[in-house]
Amino acid sequence: MPSFLPTVAKQLFKDIQKTYQEKTKIPDDLLIALRFVFGSCALQALDLVDQRSVTCVSSPSGRRAYQVIGGSGLLYTCYTSCHYCSCPAFAYTVLRRNESLLCKHILAAYLSQAMGLSQQEALSDQQMSSILSGRAARTDT
Amino acid sequence: MADILTLVFRTFNQHNGKPKDFKSIAPSKCSTLVVGDCSVNRSLLILAAVTAASELGLKVSFFTQVQIQSLPGSLQESMSNLSPDNLKKIKFSYPRSLEDLLQDVASLHESASGSAAPPSLIIVDGLEGYLRGPGVSGGLQQAEQSSAAHISALLYDTAAFLTQTLEERAASLAPCRVIASFQSEWEGHAGGDSSDPVLSVLDRYFQVRCTLDQDWNSAPAVAGPQDTWHVYLSGAGITEDPIAKDEEVSSLAREWRLVICPNRSMEFTMV
Ligand SMILES: [Zn+2]
Repeated sequence: MPSFLPTVAKQLFKDIQKTYQEKTKIPDDLLIALRFVFGSCALQALDLVDQRSVTCVSSPSGRRAYQVIGGSGLLYTCYTSCHYCSCPAFAYTVLRRNESLLCKHILAAYLSQAMGLSQQEALSDQQMSSILSGRAARTDT
Repeated sequence: MADILTLVFRTFNQHNGKPKDFKSIAPSKCSTLVVGDCSVNRSLLILAAVTAASELGLKVSFFTQVQIQSLPGSLQESMSNLSPDNLKKIKFSYPRSLEDLLQDVASLHESASGSAAPPSLIIVDGLEGYLRGPGVSGGLQQAEQSSAAHISALLYDTAAFLTQTLEERAASLAPCRVIASFQSEWEGHAGGDSSDPVLSVLDRYFQVRCTLDQDWNSAPAVAGPQDTWHVYLSGAGITEDPIAKDEEVSSLAREWRLVICPNRSMEFTMV
């Protein structure tokens, strides 16, 4: 999703990836930077990553997407190439008020990728289609 | 840049009939949103589909709520490469609701596993009809914005995926582009106003906007009723395009005048 992120955020994810690989923890200075760029979303997203709430789903066609279990237990689908989430925070703070870049679910997807902590799951092409269209987003099968 | 639309403008140019040079238009990944009156939008999208299929040999998936009965006669006259085989490259689908449209677009990736090549151009006609369906009417502006983001993001993600697939399988057919149309009803301004909350969401995902404004001032040069429209390209995909930064190219490519003749044929002139 690079074109949807400002340079500072891209660099931040790169730094987190690099240091997390070496030290398996995120040092304080990067945590502060994360909070500075993403606000209160940052800690909530890190919680989601800690709880292994992010799953990278893929199907035989090669298509991929993220599924994130939110704090309320609902399942949200995020795309890999651009920012979208069906949660109310995305609709309100990102789309309507233009106050933030993304919601905690999308941020969790970025962070779990950078830290290598996302679950992997293989789906059929048809299952992938229902997830992408939002039809199957809220079933917990 | 908006390569397919630019090709359309050049192909249906009022003054230079034949010398078309498609090679000079660099293929572009940018998705384009056509914002204008719904019937002119639809005509332009059909023109884009036929041009892409016949002149570039591209496969096109065309989504619309309105049944396309026949191609305009003027089109059949002016396109030299038009043949039934070329027209077969366009697949028309008629999803009736936003849910159906989402499902159809979401399943396009399934063709990447099969033997047939996926489309190189995805066209969605009349987003306003899908976004203002019975479920999302009234004061639910936030729901409408959210739906606009969902379909736009899905189109973006699908095109990004199919571009990758095409590059691996048949590089000459890459990238996969998206062209969609939208009629803004905000404050009764058909040409679209940036304060339209739905349009502002769509603009996040479409890098190029092609605005069609009816030109009431230009006196018709020819006798008889005719429509004149001012067509201009804008957006990050235009201003950040390294090729378009070239002064000459950019001024040539951004503004056009569209004249719709009484026989419904469309003619473009550079402004
Ligand atoms: Zn979210």
